[in-house]
Amino acid sequence: MNQMSHRFYLLLLLPTLLVLLLFIAGPVGQSFFLSFHRMIIGLPHLGAPFIGLQNYQELLNDPVARHSLWVTLIFVGTTTFFELLIGLLLALLMHRRFPGRGALRACVLIPWAIPTVVSAQMWRFLFNDAYGMVNYAMFGAETSAYIPWLALPSTALFSLILADIWKTASFAALLILAGLQVIPDELYQAARVDGAGTWRRFRHITWPLILPALLVALLFRTIDAFRVFDLAFVMTQGGPADATNVLQLYGYKKMFVEGWMGYGSAVSACIFAIILCLAVAYVRMVGRRLLEAGTG
Amino acid sequence: MRAFLTAIILFSVLAGLCPGIEAARADQPTTIVFLTWKPNQPEGWERLIHRFHNEHPGIRVKRQVGPHSSTEYHAIVTQRLRNRDTSVDIFLMDVIWPPEFAAAGWAMDLTSRFPVQEQKKFLDGPIRANTVQGRIYGVPCYIGAGLFYYRKDLLEKYGFKPPQTWEEMITQGQRVLKGEGGPGIAVYSGQFKQYEGLVCDMMEFIWSNGGAAVDSRTGQVSLDKPAAMQAVSFVRDRIIGKAAPLGVLNYEEPESLDLFIQGKAVFLRNWPYAWSLANDPETSRVAGRIGVERLPCFPGHDSASTLGGWQFGINRYSRHPEAAWQFIRFMTSAESQEILALESGLAPTRRSVYDVPLIQEKTPHLKAFLPAFKKARPRPLSPVYPMISQELQRFFSRAISDKGAHLPAMARAASSRIERLLKLGAMPLK
Repeated sequence: MNQMSHRFYLLLLLPTLLVLLLFIAGPVGQSFFLSFHRMIIGLPHLGAPFIGLQNYQELLNDPVARHSLWVTLIFVGTTTFFELLIGLLLALLMHRRFPGRGALRACVLIPWAIPTVVSAQMWRFLFNDAYGMVNYAMFGAETSAYIPWLALPSTALFSLILADIWKTASFAALLILAGLQVIPDELYQAARVDGAGTWRRFRHITWPLILPALLVALLFRTIDAFRVFDLAFVMTQGGPADATNVLQLYGYKKMFVEGWMGYGSAVSACIFAIILCLAVAYVRMVGRRLLEAGTG
Repeated sequence: MRAFLTAIILFSVLAGLCPGIEAARADQPTTIVFLTWKPNQPEGWERLIHRFHNEHPGIRVKRQVGPHSSTEYHAIVTQRLRNRDTSVDIFLMDVIWPPEFAAAGWAMDLTSRFPVQEQKKFLDGPIRANTVQGRIYGVPCYIGAGLFYYRKDLLEKYGFKPPQTWEEMITQGQRVLKGEGGPGIAVYSGQFKQYEGLVCDMMEFIWSNGGAAVDSRTGQVSLDKPAAMQAVSFVRDRIIGKAAPLGVLNYEEPESLDLFIQGKAVFLRNWPYAWSLANDPETSRVAGRIGVERLPCFPGHDSASTLGGWQFGINRYSRHPEAAWQFIRFMTSAESQEILALESGLAPTRRSVYDVPLIQEKTPHLKAFLPAFKKARPRPLSPVYPMISQELQRFFSRAISDKGAHLPAMARAASSRIERLLKLGAMPLK
């Protein structure tokens, strides 16, 4: 009986597994396969010879790729940090009881619900050098002081980071809020009875209990930030001077603009590997935390 | 993206089954698929296709519209052609693509249909751009070239003639700015974002100083030669953040044109399409007050424009090459080019159209564009041009936006990378 139901479950899972295999494992596998070949779509007469790790070797010595990795790391580090920080503050705020709380919670999610391409276009207008609202808000009619945010290597990445924080801080807030809501009120009441102040209540009750949620948010945000593509694609195309040429955009350009399929696939494979490592590390960390929270 | 590609492949497999069904019914017209982009002014295109259907009842043209940006459209077209997708019959090629499309075996060799005596009726530049090792792979649809727009009213007010040199342009512009006194006015506007347009603009500066990206005689990359270096430093030190606002580092054509038609720039570098938009009182504050000339140059050298424009090509694996050719021949006839010029503002590639009285009467500016068209120069011709362009964009963008960068070292590094790419592209065909 047990054996039968086991098989039955597998049968039910089969369509899902097939779809996953076809649309995820297939393309990912093909991507890895391509990354071991020299394949240039504009030069099909060269064929697609197997070249082993040569693409990866070249990638290691590619100054543009190294620069892109650096840009991506800065992006990931800053956006994740500020998104979690702002997300935490927002979550604490939304957790309090006050009139209009439901409306506020809904509003906070709006930026996250807007497709990135749309919000990127919006930020492109906001950061415009001649009529952008950011400049107007900062300098008013003093047009000579206007800063061309997206045109300078020093401010372009900053602008992208700001756009990303605006968009996804609310997502982090939502996850952390979920963590906050499972904390039983009795704990706070007991702490108050024992004379604990706001800070001590936060430090010894809230913080340890929302840590798992915070870690989950960290996991999602880091991985998502690593895959940043649309913001740079819409706002700057990677410029000026490669200042916003994040890894995904670099891989995309190699593959679809230059037609260098093998090399572009190697870039994708590296991003995949980095994200996989991060995910495994986080999941182990989060898993242990959850276990501790469960037994402790 | 991958799922999308898979969908395209699935689609093409399904589409491949269709012609068989079609052939069974002989009374059905042949459907040819024209992969195009969304035109700025669609009126002329619509009318021509309608007229083609009337004249050729046996052929139906189905349009599939791709992205507007040349680079994005390139990605779509190459993905489909590379899979030998027979569901595309006709496509458009940017002027920089034919070497790649020929080497890759995507574009059909049209030499027998489009012989030399017919080619001679077209302007030289686009014909050269479509010719690869003596064979022709595309028919020029319309031509583009970098043009120099100026505020006629302001130059007249201060007693200037259109500037001949870049230096003169800056002097004149500064004099005008001083006189007009308003803040937020710039001398010059152009395209300096890290994208294909940057290559066009920068090459014009380099050529007009006697330099080149690739030396046409020796085939050597010459970005690090004095002529090129001087031109690049001129742009960095005198144009970016000086004659032109810093914001141009993120400007493509529309943004640069916007500055000009708002009356906030005295001079503008742009393509022919800008003329009608800048003269449309509904969109432009400077309508009727502008003139157009060849671009300025450096002293002792000649003005240079980058060649632009689009060509028709036929998919080598098309099932209906003859019908496709009928369509291309129709679209590139003198009458059709007249309609595209009058209704869609596209500059003809046939010489004779420039002498048609109606064209001279309704679009007198085309005659003024002609000198620039005739002398327009192609960007490096290579099957790996997309790769070369990425290197050029990277080099130019860094060179003009980073004042502290060591230019000669950067130019040498970029040159050697491009040399490697040129060698890759020159590998013999099997």
